Amino acid sequence: MALQKDKTTLADDQLVRGSQRGDMVAFEELVARHRDKIYARAFSMMRSEDEALDISQEAWVKGWQRLKQFQGESSFVTWMTRIVINLCLDQLRKQKRQKAESIEQMSEDSGGVERQMPVVAANPTEGLERRELRARIDRALNQLSYEHRTVLILHEFEELEYKEIAKRMQCSIGTVMSRLFYARRRMASLLAAFKREELSP
Amino acid sequence: MNEKQQLELQAYLDGELSARAARRAAGWLAQNPEAQALAAELRMTQGALAGNEPEATVAESREFYWSKIERAIAAAERPEPESRSVPGWRLIWRRLLLPLSGVALATILAVGLIRSGADDPSRHLTEVENLSEFTVSHSFGSDKMFVVWIENRAQTQGDNPQSFDDDDIVIQ
Repeated sequence: MALQKDKTTLADDQLVRGSQRGDMVAFEELVARHRDKIYARAFSMMRSEDEALDISQEAWVKGWQRLKQFQGESSFVTWMTRIVINLCLDQLRKQKRQKAESIEQMSEDSGGVERQMPVVAANPTEGLERRELRARIDRALNQLSYEHRTVLILHEFEELEYKEIAKRMQCSIGTVMSRLFYARRRMASLLAAFKREELSP
Repeated sequence: MNEKQQLELQAYLDGELSARAARRAAGWLAQNPEAQALAAELRMTQGALAGNEPEATVAESREFYWSKIERAIAAAERPEPESRSVPGWRLIWRRLLLPLSGVALATILAVGLIRSGADDPSRHLTEVENLSEFTVSHSFGSDKMFVVWIENRAQTQGDNPQSFDDDDIVIQ
């Protein structure tokens, strides 16, 4: 415990350097510091607490094993987030295969529907408290297919470019653009629907 | 607006277009109310999501969460146990055993076939018949032919080995 207390005062990069030298206590402090963020990313993609827990822990194990490769080009937590995203994508692909559906052949489940959706003119999130807004976004994300949810998360939360998303999702840039467009339009539509629910007696 | 225009508008808002394409999209957007409405919606969604990622926290305690990670790391770093159960010479023997047993089986089959062929009386026995006091007939049969030849008794007895005539042979 005394050792843990000592580590809490250290910055991430100091803990990373310690971990790279094989200091497990330093690594444990990094895990404790960032486990919620890594878990949250896994949960946002997998939508299952158990899977998110397993994948986030697997990500930490991989992080430890690959620590020597971390050169500090990004922050440690960004680097770890990339690892957990890749594990989630692998797991989602496996699940797709088990359902005998190819990711490449998957139906866009938009089928052009997004072009028929009426444009949401009034901002349905206006006046919402942050906590409520997050809850609604979470609810809306839950209603998207994993392909649309993933592309939205990677673009809006991870701020990845189309090219990088295409690489990670193993699809074309055109597919990324089309999925992102649908996901955004559907998100707007769902947020508007939640607003209508709130207003209805 | 067609699909291509919609996706180009989105790419413009995301800063994914080249400078030239972006100028073109901006000019077109300024003159198209439908595109402006769509752009407003896309911007609104983007704004709502920015910085508002739903939060989730690990329900497990720090120690419990870490213990699984620690065990997995230790298991991965544990050296592979030495292959003490099977000595090297036995492994080599096992590797050789399969081809050797195959060769032995093939040899047994080949010998069996040759021997069964040798035992076939129709292939090797020649029937000898005395036709008269001076002539003897020999007949020999196999699967595909039947050979008969006639010879003088004197020839059989070795008196005049050169007198054998090919015309005496009958093949059926």
